[in-house]
Amino acid sequence: MIAVLGLVVGVVVGLLVRPEVPAVVEPYLPIAVVAALDAVFGGLRAMLDGIFVDKVFVVSFLSNVVVAALIVFLGDKLGVGAQLSTGVVVVLGIRIFSNAAAIRRHVFRA
Amino acid sequence: MSNGQNPNSEQNSGSEEQAGALPAEAPAPVPSASPPAGPAEVSGRQRLRAGLWPPRVSRAQLIVALLLFVLGLGLAIQVRSNSDNSALRGARQEDLVRILDELDNRTQRLEDEKQRLDDQRTELENSSDQAEEARKQTLEKERQLGVLAGTVAAHGPGITLTISDPTGAVEADMLLDTIQELRAAGAEAIEVNGVRVVANTYFSGDGGELRVDGRKIEAPYEFKVIGKPQDLEPALNIPGGVVQTLEKEQATAEVARVDDIVVDAVRPAKQPDHARSSSR
Repeated sequence: MIAVLGLVVGVVVGLLVRPEVPAVVEPYLPIAVVAALDAVFGGLRAMLDGIFVDKVFVVSFLSNVVVAALIVFLGDKLGVGAQLSTGVVVVLGIRIFSNAAAIRRHVFRA
Repeated sequence: MSNGQNPNSEQNSGSEEQAGALPAEAPAPVPSASPPAGPAEVSGRQRLRAGLWPPRVSRAQLIVALLLFVLGLGLAIQVRSNSDNSALRGARQEDLVRILDELDNRTQRLEDEKQRLDDQRTELENSSDQAEEARKQTLEKERQLGVLAGTVAAHGPGITLTISDPTGAVEADMLLDTIQELRAAGAEAIEVNGVRVVANTYFSGDGGELRVDGRKIEAPYEFKVIGKPQDLEPALNIPGGVVQTLEKEQATAEVARVDDIVVDAVRPAKQPDHARSSSR
């Protein structure tokens, strides 16, 4: 419950405060958000499976974000930033879908 | 992975947290494995319900809340910045360079067009200035010529000449002589008893029944003359001149200088039937 509240508060604060993102971080923010979403879905699925560990969640969340940003950064340096970020989004999207499918089976039993 | 409740879950968590070696494969075994164990323990749905309500403040919840807060923040910022000016914010460097190039070209084109229009405007202003100047000069000239032709009223320094003729002895030729004398002395506008004297003015009639341009005038004959008073007055008063001649006929002539005299009798401009201006 508190976790859901945290998400809601984050969205509200982001919309209200409209903080200025440093230009260096800006290109990596979308991919980092997608990576974080993937981690969250994975965590939700782990919770439904009854194997949720907060430490694992924290590490996977942070490493997901960092690795995703790193890949995009590297891609930008190599000149294939657009393609690589598309690839990262596709991979993360597949993972999110599979996790979502597992969650769906738990919640709806279907 | 400190919480190995059963080996099954351990395996699941492994496929869960490693960067998805086989993401498509992972979900399938889990639900099939879960329901058999479900009734005995707790189902996923019950776990979800338990996690949502009642709210419990635990370390795990707080940490997850913090991370989700960060996620929500990033999500909101990204959505907001994307909807702000989506065209430029999400664009990559090459696109930005291209857009900048296009903008530069466009600026250049617009500058050129502005320059062209400015030139055109300057040209038009000059030509309209010239036209205005020409019109002013024409107007001025028309006024000057109008004064001489008698089509406009005039005012300026001059004299008045009043000829009283009690005996009716003044003849038309005497008035004509007077006019000639005044003209010779530089008179620029002359009016006799309300009739403007112009180039084709004529005097007719006998003593006491004089006509100017066909209009009957009666004594005393009053001349309003615009010209240089210092020239006009002596011209009339010279020995053997107009005044003396008139006085010989028992008529009296009085000359008075006036600083500003108004000759406001006008006559309509006549379009010549045959003569046309020949451009030199």
